[in-house]
Amino acid sequence: MLKKMSVGAWITCCAAILIIVSLIVYSANVSGEGYFQGRSVNGVTLWLIIAAVLLVCAIALKLLNLKGSAATSADLASGLMQIGAPVLVALSLINLIASRVEGLGFIYFSNADVIKEVQTPANMASGTGAIASMVVMGVALVVAIVAAFCGLRKKEAK
Amino acid sequence: MGKLSGFFRGMAALMACLLVLANVGTGVVESYRSALDNVLGTSSYETITDESAARFKKDYATIEDMAAAAKALAIREGEEGTVVMKNDNGVLPLSADKQVVLFGLASYAPYPYTAGDLRAGNADAVDLLQALTDAGLSINETVKNFYEKGILNKHIEQVPNMWTGELVDTVAYDNIYVAAPGDMTQYKVVEVPPTLFEEKGAPADWKNSIDKDNAVAIVTFARGAGEGNTYAPGSALNFAGEATGKDPLALSDDELAVIDVAKETCSQVLVLINSGNNMVLKEIAKGGAHEVDGIAYIGVINDYQPIGIANVLTGKVNATGALPDTYVADNASIPAVVNFGGDYYADYEIVGTQGTDARYPGETIANTKASSFGGSSTYNGGHYIVEAEGIYVGYKYFETRYFDSVMNPQFNAASAKGATQAETWDYNKEVLYSFGHGLSYLDYEQTLKSVKVDLSENGNVTAEIEIKNLSDKDGYFLAQLYVQQPYTEYDKTNLVEKSAVNFLNSGKAQVKAGGTATVTLTVPSKYLASYDYKNAKTWILDEGDYLFTAAPGSHAAANNFLAHLGKTAADGMDTDKTGAVVTWNLGAFDKTTFATANGHEVTNVADDADLNYWTGTDTVTYLSRQDWDATYPIDYSKVAIKIGDSPKKDEWIAELRGQTYTIQTNDPANEGVDRGLRFNAESIQDEQLADVNDEYWDNLVSQITIDEAVGAVIHGGSSSDVLTNVDNPKVLQNEGVSGFTAAYNDEATGKTYKFNVHSQTLIASSFNPELAYEWGLIEGNSGLWLQRYDLWGTGLTQRRTPYNGRNYEYISEDPMLTNRIGYGIMQGCSDKGIINGPKHMGFNDQEHNRGGVSVYMTEQKFRETDLRGFQGGLDDADGRAVMIAFNRIGATNAAHHVGMLQKIMRDEWGFTGLVSTDMMNNKYYFNAESIVMAGVTQIADFAQNDNHINEGEGGVDKTWGYISPETVKNDGALVKQARENLKYQLYTFANSAVLNVSTRKVATWYDNAISIVKTVSLVLTICCGLAYIATTVLKKKKEA
Repeated sequence: MLKKMSVGAWITCCAAILIIVSLIVYSANVSGEGYFQGRSVNGVTLWLIIAAVLLVCAIALKLLNLKGSAATSADLASGLMQIGAPVLVALSLINLIASRVEGLGFIYFSNADVIKEVQTPANMASGTGAIASMVVMGVALVVAIVAAFCGLRKKEAK
Repeated sequence: MGKLSGFFRGMAALMACLLVLANVGTGVVESYRSALDNVLGTSSYETITDESAARFKKDYATIEDMAAAAKALAIREGEEGTVVMKNDNGVLPLSADKQVVLFGLASYAPYPYTAGDLRAGNADAVDLLQALTDAGLSINETVKNFYEKGILNKHIEQVPNMWTGELVDTVAYDNIYVAAPGDMTQYKVVEVPPTLFEEKGAPADWKNSIDKDNAVAIVTFARGAGEGNTYAPGSALNFAGEATGKDPLALSDDELAVIDVAKETCSQVLVLINSGNNMVLKEIAKGGAHEVDGIAYIGVINDYQPIGIANVLTGKVNATGALPDTYVADNASIPAVVNFGGDYYADYEIVGTQGTDARYPGETIANTKASSFGGSSTYNGGHYIVEAEGIYVGYKYFETRYFDSVMNPQFNAASAKGATQAETWDYNKEVLYSFGHGLSYLDYEQTLKSVKVDLSENGNVTAEIEIKNLSDKDGYFLAQLYVQQPYTEYDKTNLVEKSAVNFLNSGKAQVKAGGTATVTLTVPSKYLASYDYKNAKTWILDEGDYLFTAAPGSHAAANNFLAHLGKTAADGMDTDKTGAVVTWNLGAFDKTTFATANGHEVTNVADDADLNYWTGTDTVTYLSRQDWDATYPIDYSKVAIKIGDSPKKDEWIAELRGQTYTIQTNDPANEGVDRGLRFNAESIQDEQLADVNDEYWDNLVSQITIDEAVGAVIHGGSSSDVLTNVDNPKVLQNEGVSGFTAAYNDEATGKTYKFNVHSQTLIASSFNPELAYEWGLIEGNSGLWLQRYDLWGTGLTQRRTPYNGRNYEYISEDPMLTNRIGYGIMQGCSDKGIINGPKHMGFNDQEHNRGGVSVYMTEQKFRETDLRGFQGGLDDADGRAVMIAFNRIGATNAAHHVGMLQKIMRDEWGFTGLVSTDMMNNKYYFNAESIVMAGVTQIADFAQNDNHINEGEGGVDKTWGYISPETVKNDGALVKQARENLKYQLYTFANSAVLNVSTRKVATWYDNAISIVKTVSLVLTICCGLAYIATTVLKKKKEA
């Protein structure tokens, strides 16, 4: 099976893994101590899980040995999954950014009279975690988009 | 084909991602638009400066139209506010066939007879005499001539201005009623008795000029009033200057003699009551020794109201006015009068200091009473009154006691306490005319058809009242809505007092002859709740039936409730004619629905307003309906209250010395830093106008220096000053309660127009909140014409007793009528961008020693009486300013009262407007730092361009010498609060016509970029998606 996988399939795998990693970093940030503790963003977890599943399914579908119209349908479905996955990651990323801008501004750019109270180690770690989750999610997005350009199955020798 | 398919798939994914980012990103950009503009140097709005695009526009094209609208409104006030109290023998409407004979000084010179705060003095003003003549009535010339030429003799005198001392030409008369009663002094009832008519120029045969059978007498009696004035019970002098011991608000023997001669010479007599202070009319009311045929209330007139009054008296319009107060046979029957005026604590001297007050080293500061206008070195904390009547002010006392006399005899309503007309208390002997009473010429019925109660946040009581016109003429009619809440064992245990009758709202409608119309009245449901200060310490709703009814007055409402509860005349009711009651039931006791307001917990904030808090014992027994006899108030000024005996002696003395807050020394304040922000239309856009918590406001005021932050608040002056790093416009404050006193000079015609043509008393007796709103719009429009934007333009203090010299500025004894009228006036002004601040929130119940008297009460009274009167304008409407009372609440200066100003007004009501003190005339009483910490935005000290605390000798404040930039720089909380206060003030200016420009949103480059990305990505997503599908299918076909 693995022998059938193209480079694109491996890139897609990388994207799925990065999505999972971003989900872990995000979850750790929300559950960890500090400013963003408990401040989850509606939909992000679900969207990221679906995105990862879509990528895996896209590969799996592509590697099936189907013939005729079934093969065509599987190809189309696989491709649509490759398109849908980065869209969900983009949706997660932009919503995460929108919900974190104000908090990050509070942590890093508060007035001098309150900044000592704001920049506690926990809040700083929480801010760093939020940025890290955005960065990883951004990388996952780029990789997922790149993967969408790639085929998932090696061309078979004729 | 395979590579092409992959390319389209990738492009579809890329474009779809861009589409998502662009769409969601648009929302993000909107949220942070102002910050983004600041960073990118872009502008999302453009300012439109031409007048047609102003946010607040005039409704009138010319000044003539403006003046005509103001005049028309004033006439309507006369028409809707005139109250027919008594109408027997068909005296009203007046017949054109009968000659009118005018008696009484006020018939020829109704109060007020001079222009000023209360009267505009326009060239086309119409007096009562002129209005009656213009209405087609024939006036007896003989009587008119001797009154006008012999008795009154109108002329001009030079009189010193009260404030400036400058001599000004003033209208004067040889004989005229006293326009200003003075402060708790003797009051001369000037009415020339008939025995002196001939001496004053009447021909000996003047009576022969009257054809009695075809003559109706109109006798007008006035009582003056004024700032710093308070009537003293029992202080009357007669025309000869002799003390009579009578109530100055009662008709004097001279006045009754005029009545008698009117009855002798005319077949019918109508008395007009021309006063803002309830007069005692027992002698001329039904059964009185000098009973007359008719009595009508005409309030305090202005330039054009007499036209409307004449329209009512002649029947041109139906009479729809109603009494905003209860008229009694003897003012001594009013429980609030028992504790009025006040007196000294037994040991008041211990509050005074001789050089030991650290703020004023070396100074001797007494604790004696000061004059109404200040001027002596005293804390003025020696006097107190106890408002032991609680919520039972006006009809709430009389109707509840009446209700209990029938329904709950065990409550001892028939006790002798409070009885003035018989051995035991009898409603019908004590009360002459009830609150809400007003006779209609046209027969009609008002019937409550339905009531809906919505207890959700901002929910309303909605009532539908059917008005049925039983007459054969089209007409205009008044509907009034009342409620009775359950009075439960819980209430009795916890001293939660309930009036048996509560006015909620009123409205008017035109109805065709024989037809019906429905008036829908709404009022916030929160006003059904009662404040439980003992147990729940928040607003509660008792379980049980809430009874609603529509009735022509509070007494009719009480009878409707009694009849609904199964009582009849046989049980002691004074009528069997009653109306419909609609019941709304609450299944369970509720102490949570109104326990939060505007996101803030509602709980006690004025425990120390209760004298018992300080004495540590039950010194005061507050009136409770569960035992009218045992709890009827005593005069607490006769009880020896010793501050020195209090377990909280030091705390009490500190409050009485004005030390509510002490400047701290260990909390460094941040100096203001110029961040380049300014108060201007470019910076203040929709987001900033909508939200006082927008970061722009905090950043703006953070630029104000310590000196100016504190200085601008404590030297608020008669105009706001320009702050160095803010560049805000100066905003001039204006008087008065009848509208802007400033004149508009039309350069084109040379004409002068004055728009203070309103009458507070008549808008009150109109019982028409919609008319109040229309007046608010007129008041607002006049501000736009005058280019003046900040006005102390109404008075909403509760009329606790008839003796307050400012009652003519206020609305009613009832908080809810005040609340609804205040709502209308303030919303109208706000809709035109005018900052209209009502006077004087916080129990300014008497002018006597207003600048220091301690007013003690329960928190239930605190929240349900005077404050409720202001709540309509400041909480329910978009009111933008308020002036705080002069007196103390408990021992605390009202302007120091954090509970009232911060907890209730700012937090619970969400009020974001400007807050001013009254006249700062005593630095020992008005403590600057305490006022700042209470949230006041400006202390009214009248000076301008003095927003600093270093203008005194040695670089200290010029008034409070212990304050300077050096002393406050180590109190960060004080400086922060001062900036916070200024933030509210600047926010208020921005939301008014001070910043009367509109803005238009424009697309920035980033808006354009996002739009392009959205469009392109959408198109490409679709194209690439379709291309992907097509190429994939083709590839498969090819492979096959």
